[in-house]
Amino acid sequence: MKRTAVPAALMLSVILLAGCAQFESKRGVEVNWQSTVTAQLVNGQSTRRDVLALLGPPSQVIALDGESALYYLFEHSEGEGLILVLYNRMRIDTRYDRAIFFLIKTTS
Amino acid sequence: MKARTARILCAAFACWLLPACSQWRYDLGVPLDNLEIPPQNTALAEVLQRLGPPLRISATDTGFVLAWEHWHVREDSAGFSLGALGADFLSADWGDMRINGEFLLLTFDRQHLLTSATHSTWDNHGGGGQAIQPLFGFVSVVDVDDITDVMPQHRWGKSLLQPLPGTLNNASSLDSGQSGLQQRGTPTAAGQQSLGMD
Repeated sequence: MKRTAVPAALMLSVILLAGCAQFESKRGVEVNWQSTVTAQLVNGQSTRRDVLALLGPPSQVIALDGESALYYLFEHSEGEGLILVLYNRMRIDTRYDRAIFFLIKTTS
Repeated sequence: MKARTARILCAAFACWLLPACSQWRYDLGVPLDNLEIPPQNTALAEVLQRLGPPLRISATDTGFVLAWEHWHVREDSAGFSLGALGADFLSADWGDMRINGEFLLLTFDRQHLLTSATHSTWDNHGGGGQAIQPLFGFVSVVDVDDITDVMPQHRWGKSLLQPLPGTLNNASSLDSGQSGLQQRGTPTAAGQQSLGMD
């Protein structure tokens, strides 16, 4: 009886203490970065107005020294984990969509 | 009589085990109803008269930017915990978040004339998840704190009293009103604010 009690208690503990988690999170400005979209912008010619009209408000408008930048950021995180109290394993996969446009002072 | 008492006891016990069912609704700002985006070269005074005071404002290299926004965040979560029995032994959680809103960004030159305008609306799934967690809460399945944070203007007074990385980055902070602006919920691990190591 004692021989079976210990493995049974161990197994019960494993069952009761086992946990799992799954989550996802999305943050930032999601823009469809198709080449057909960005192809409409031309280096040295497109203005801030063009970028904003095409892509909408950015995540960040950054004032630099004599220039400014429009930064589009989108973050998508997916996580899943196994929780066994004594051994826990989490895997979090985060992907970023990023695009930055530097605008010289002469562009409006 | 016994069956009725048992049912009542069961219902009371179930209520006791379900302390974490909640629905949160956040409305941040006011909807930009009947929005008519002003044409280029509209004077700042006229824009303010039309749209009212902006929620975000910052200087830029060519003038300044103003932004108006409205966010509606819906957070639903449900779960049960055996913590009520005296030990945080096991909890099961489910959470989901939906975000919709709109953002209007206007840029002005130093002569206070409108140079560009852009407006966006969105209705997105913001995240969610489920978890069964023994003993400790390892994972928060849904978190809206970064979306519902207070406006940066509320932090201007203490911007120089942050931990050292934040204070050193203050001159470039997008919350200072001097270096640009950013939308709510912008990821902290990339971009300008990553220098502050938030």
